[in-house]
This record gives sequence, structure tokens and C-alpha cells, in this order.
Amino acid sequence: MLTINNLEVKYGSQTALSIRQPITLQQGDRIGIIGSNGAGKTTLIKSVLGLNSYTGSILTELAPEEIAVHMQQNNYVSTMSVRSVMETILNTNIKKNKKVWDLIKFFEFEQCLSKKYTVLSGGQKQRMTIILVLCKDAPLVFFDEVTTGLDFETRQRLMEKMVDWYKEKDTTICIVSHYYEELEQLVDKLLILEAGKVVDFDKKEVLFHKYCGKTVITLENNNQNRNLVLDFPQLKASSHVIALSCKDMETEKKITDILIRENVNFKRSNCDIEIMFMNAKTQPSLHMGEGLLKGAMS
Amino acid sequence: MKRKLCTVRLITYEIKNICGNPFTVFFSTIFPILMSYIISQTYMRQVPDAVRPAAITGIFITMGMVVPMSIFLIGHGANYSQELEKDVPLRMNLFGFSQSGMIIAKAIANLIFLTGVLLIYVAASCLLLDILIPQASAVAVYALTLYGFGVIFFILSHGIATLVKKFGPTYAITMMLYFIFMIICGMMGIQTELLPKGMQTIAYTLPMTYVSKDFVDFWQEGSYNFAPFLQAMLFMGAVSGIVLIFSVRKEKRMIK
Repeated sequence: MLTINNLEVKYGSQTALSIRQPITLQQGDRIGIIGSNGAGKTTLIKSVLGLNSYTGSILTELAPEEIAVHMQQNNYVSTMSVRSVMETILNTNIKKNKKVWDLIKFFEFEQCLSKKYTVLSGGQKQRMTIILVLCKDAPLVFFDEVTTGLDFETRQRLMEKMVDWYKEKDTTICIVSHYYEELEQLVDKLLILEAGKVVDFDKKEVLFHKYCGKTVITLENNNQNRNLVLDFPQLKASSHVIALSCKDMETEKKITDILIRENVNFKRSNCDIEIMFMNAKTQPSLHMGEGLLKGAMS
Repeated sequence: MKRKLCTVRLITYEIKNICGNPFTVFFSTIFPILMSYIISQTYMRQVPDAVRPAAITGIFITMGMVVPMSIFLIGHGANYSQELEKDVPLRMNLFGFSQSGMIIAKAIANLIFLTGVLLIYVAASCLLLDILIPQASAVAVYALTLYGFGVIFFILSHGIATLVKKFGPTYAITMMLYFIFMIICGMMGIQTELLPKGMQTIAYTLPMTYVSKDFVDFWQEGSYNFAPFLQAMLFMGAVSGIVLIFSVRKEKRMIK
């Protein structure tokens, strides 16, 4: 559907993004794009949309209007009602178009139609663009930090609805987010960027296995817990957490037995994107490119 | 999925967009009527009775030019630069609207709005002012001139807003042009002949000067040499066109 190769984006003399190995987005892919601030996530989306100057190639048979995008900032005029804006963009009468009306109801947006865009809340503004993007039914969709700035409950509800909407559809979705639990729900592949470079690109299970092992056990980082798990391999994690890598069932059982015996709370995960990301970005030279071709081919 | 071009719905949207801007509505609709009425009621008292209707008609003709200037130069410039500041045109573009389709829809919507405002202006002036009844050809020339100004000012303000991309500087530039045009083209009561030589040269490159100075002469009868006026129209149109083409080329997305 879309192949990126040898892409380089520069802002002045600074390289904002450099993708040397080919990255291919295939039909039906659900790709999470993750990375720290300034990693090049939005730059990548802008390049695909043709909003940036770049060198290299982005090959696609899709016309620009066949790519839908929810940018970080989406604004509309406030000189008229949201209904008028939406009807113009969708070129339809909202009430008479069942598909659009169903989507509006699905996102509980009916009450907002008579309001002006500026008076909508953050969540309502996000929902408006999501509805418009979904109505477009494009084969390739980008969501750039859709839920940033929203409260936990609104984020959860939005993501649940999006997951629900895309169930059974073969739309290719690329979603940029710093909320990794959202990505766990929606994506099957991950593109990890760091400082403008690709760290890795593959199925999330493959990446998890590569950087974390079979499973990860996390527990509170305190003196007692540190002493308990001293002999087990540890992964990089947030300072308040100890993350233990379990390469196999046997290691996992050993660790959990100790923790249960000592009455220590812990969590087990086989898809913790946050820990996987923290460990992937510390060893880019080791893995860069190796997983890319595999990811592109799978 | 097709690229969205200029549709009736998009034009309707743009008309709502113009009507939703109170500054455009005030400066294009109320301001010229108010100004013509105030000037005719104050300064015209000093004018001898015999020439008063011609002088009032001159005010009507001159103030009529404020309508396209307010709608296209000030109103559109302000509205569009605010949209650019918030990336609204980019957002519309990403939803599949072509840049040319959006520009055409805006131009058509502004021309429709101009028609409505001119009808109000003429109706109010007929009620409030003692205007000489024109010959049909003079009405046609005057109307065409106002629409021509509309198109040229639209091109100019669209180009300025696209280049500058910020409301503040765009508004400052268009307002400055608005007042410069008003002052040197004789729309504020200062006769072009009384201006310094250099400013007179600039004034005669602008078509508004010929309208405010000469159009009253063939309002009821008589002929007029349109060549200098048309040259000035072409010159201003060409300058505006260059600004727009330059700005649009700068804005083009890379993938087409």
C-alpha cells in the first residue's frame, strides 16, 4: 500500500527524520508509531501527506485524498455551527445520511451539532474530527495523538469506540500515541522511532520477545523487593518499577513463587509496550534494520 | 474517492463564513451608507444648490467603492488569515478539498455577498440621498467596475494572507492599503490634483482614482475615454495576480 525508503527530512541543518531501510505499510496493518518527543513521528506523517520537503521516496498508489488523517491540532471555522461545517466537509445532509448519523450517535455527538466549534470541549473537538475521518472511509488512516490532553475516562471511551469501529475492517491504521495501553488495544505492529531514526519495526509480539523476553514481571521498586529479585535479569523501566525479564516459563515460575511467598504485589505482561520501548531505544545499533525488513515483509 | 472541487455546498459554507464575521458585515454594509449620509448632510450644505445633486452622486459613486474594498480587501483578508493561522485550509485540504476549489468557492461566495450588499447600498442611498438618475450604460460600467475591484482585491488579499499566514500582519497590511487607497484615490475628500507630484503618479496607476474623479461626468450623459482607467485596472490586476500565484506556488503540497 505504501513504501517508505531512504527518507530524510531536514529542518534547516538538523535532520528530523532519517529512514534508511524500507518500511512497507500493508492493507489491514494496525501500526503504532511510538517514540519520545522529537523522535520524528509527526514528521513522518507530514512527509507521507506531502506537507514536508524530503529526500528519498514514499511510494504509494493512493491519491492524497485517499489518506485520512487526524492531526494533533484540528481546527475549523467558528463563524457557523458544527453541523454546517460537517455537512460541508462530508458534502451531505447529516440527518438524511444514515451512515453519518449512526456515527454521530455512536460517538454521542448529537448535542454538539448546533454549537460553534470554539465552544466544544477538548474531547468533543477530538470526536468531531474522528467522526469526519471515519466517515471518509479512507484505506489508509493516520491518528496523531488523538487522545492527548483528554482525561482518562474520555480517552478510554474514545479508544473503545475506535476499536469497535475498525473491528472487521481492513483499513490500514497508523496511530501515534504516548499512551501505550491504548496501542495495546488497537495495534498489531509497532514502529519505534528515536531521535529521528528507526529503532525497529515489526509485530508487537516479535518486538516484545526481542527486547523483553517471553513475559515481564513488574513490581514496586523498594529495598525489600530489590533484594528479593537480585538474581533475576532486570529490564530498563520507570524509576518506581522493577521489571524482570522472563525468557521462559521456568524463570517466570521461579520469580512468581518468590513474590507470592513473600506476599509482594506484581503484574505479569506479555505485551507491555512501555517497557519494551524503553529497552528497545537503549540498543538501537544492535537491532536497527534487522527487524525492519522482517517487519516490512510480514 | 474524488478530489472535492467547488460545490454549491462549499459556496454556501463560504457565504455563512462571511456573514459570521461581524467586521465584514459592518464595514461593507453599514459603514458606506453611514459615511455617504453623514458627508451629504454636513459638507454638502456648503455646496451651491445647482451642483449639489451631482456632488451627492459623486459621493455615492465614491463610497460605493468602499463596499468591495471592505468585503474583499479587509474582510476576506482578515477571515482567511485567521483560518490560515489555525490551519483550517490545510485541514480542509486534508479532507480532500482542492486548493483551487476552495479559492473559487471563496471568490464566488464573496461576489454573491457583494451583490447583496450593493443592493442594500443602492436601496439605502436612493432612500437617503438625492442621487441623479444614471443612464443604463453608466450603471453597467459602474457595476462591472465594482465587481472588477472585488475580484482584484480578492486576489490581492488572498495572496497577502497566504504569504503572511498571520491575522495581525495581514490585517495591518490590508488596512494600510485600504487607507492609502482611500486617501490618494480621492475617496476621503482629498483631490488627487492637490497631492504631491510623486503621490499623484501613484494615484493615477490606481483605477479607483478615475472612478472617484471622472465617473460622475458620464453618469447621466456624455462619453469618456476609458483607456487610462482600463490600463490602471490591468496594472492592479497584474500585481495582485503575481502576489497570488507566488503565494499559491509556495503553499503547494508535494504529492499531487
